[in-house]
Amino acid sequence: MRLSLISCEVMFREMCDVVARSPHQIDVQFLPKGLHDLGGKPMADEIQRIIDAVPAGSCDAILLGYGLCGNGLQGITARHTMLVLPRAHDCIALLMGSRERYLEYFNEHPGTYYRSTGWLERGKGLKQLTHNTVGMDVSLDDMIAKYGDDNGRYLYEELTRYRNTYQRLTYIATGLEPDSRFEEEARWEAAEAGWKFEKLAGDLILLRRLVNGDWKGGDYLLVQPGERITATYDGSIVRVEDIGKTAGAA
Amino acid sequence: MPDLQKLYDAVLNGDQKTSVAITREALDAGTDPMVLITNYMVPAMDEVGRLFECEDYFVPELLLSARAMKGSLELIRPLLAARGDEPVGRVVIGTVKGDLHDIGKNLVGSMLEGGGFEVIDLGADVSAERFIEAVQTKNANIVCLSALLTVTMPSMRTTIEAMKAAGVRDKVKIMVGGAPVTSQFAEEIGADGYSDNASSAVALARRLRAEATA
Repeated sequence: MRLSLISCEVMFREMCDVVARSPHQIDVQFLPKGLHDLGGKPMADEIQRIIDAVPAGSCDAILLGYGLCGNGLQGITARHTMLVLPRAHDCIALLMGSRERYLEYFNEHPGTYYRSTGWLERGKGLKQLTHNTVGMDVSLDDMIAKYGDDNGRYLYEELTRYRNTYQRLTYIATGLEPDSRFEEEARWEAAEAGWKFEKLAGDLILLRRLVNGDWKGGDYLLVQPGERITATYDGSIVRVEDIGKTAGAA
Repeated sequence: MPDLQKLYDAVLNGDQKTSVAITREALDAGTDPMVLITNYMVPAMDEVGRLFECEDYFVPELLLSARAMKGSLELIRPLLAARGDEPVGRVVIGTVKGDLHDIGKNLVGSMLEGGGFEVIDLGADVSAERFIEAVQTKNANIVCLSALLTVTMPSMRTTIEAMKAAGVRDKVKIMVGGAPVTSQFAEEIGADGYSDNASSAVALARRLRAEATA
């Protein structure tokens, strides 16, 4: 088959590995990790724009290297070519190799930040796609400079308090890492923040099957021309919807 | 008697020191506490909401105005309670089970307080049982459920189902919100309302209260 893969750059190394080993010929486009921060409709609009730029008849299917990603895939429509995407909430489930495994881990470990090679090396120093109106990443000094001493301190406390509710940083190692630098950085970040560090072995099976065309069973959603992706908010995560139906609020 | 327009300005500008000072002066001078809320503070918060919706104000400004309002309310509440005045409504708010994100929930809570509601904040990662218990013990009229992850959105559904099973669902109106939540989802799980920002959540809560008491 001739396939076209549109993927988040957060899985750059992992996707490159499985694409190289795929029996199929695959064109690859990586989109900025920053789309995640836009979320919802702006993210879906941008991915749709990239999908629509794939010429009709140029491939047998367009693969999406994404999960539902906070409704970032909600409403994406197959125009002339079938879309295939894994059923997953996000890239963490994709890197763990199973949405069930992710859900189980998530439920047993609330308050966990996840890291992988892409989360550590991608999206740094890139142009921000969204101006930060919430101010969650600003420093105490910035807040005081902008809002005065009393209000600045109050805002800083309010906007960073969520950090205290996290207790753990889980690093997903896929075995593709060239050396220990990624793990060391993740360990350092956890130590700095006072979080428990955990290393988890990832599994690229969902990515491998995506690019190998092994879409049978319930792990992938196949979206035929004239259908769009919609979230289910249950174990199936996504389903298709006929575009003739009124679009749900996105 | 202080210039009460300054109370309006202090809330609008997120100046807690001034709003508290003027409130204290006005109360000392014998001003009806309800007048301070209804004629100055609620209109100021409404203007804050309007500025937020047209993107002149952002989350920090919202938090600061809510803080100023809260400071004044702390002086006023005991007086209202002493004379038996009821708040516009009683809201139980929390982020659902499994979800630890609370900035949006806190903001909605603050804006509702600013809108004259009594807010009982259960925090984050709140089980259905804790929501049910709060409804039963706090005489609440509204329950607000928040979730920031598609992974935890199903907890909203199970919370509402548990409330039904416990026989408290019909005692309250249920509002849902959070970045991935949609009005369609709200409808699907049987919530009474959805709002996509903290400012319109206040308008929604008022509408739900008006419907319930009509």
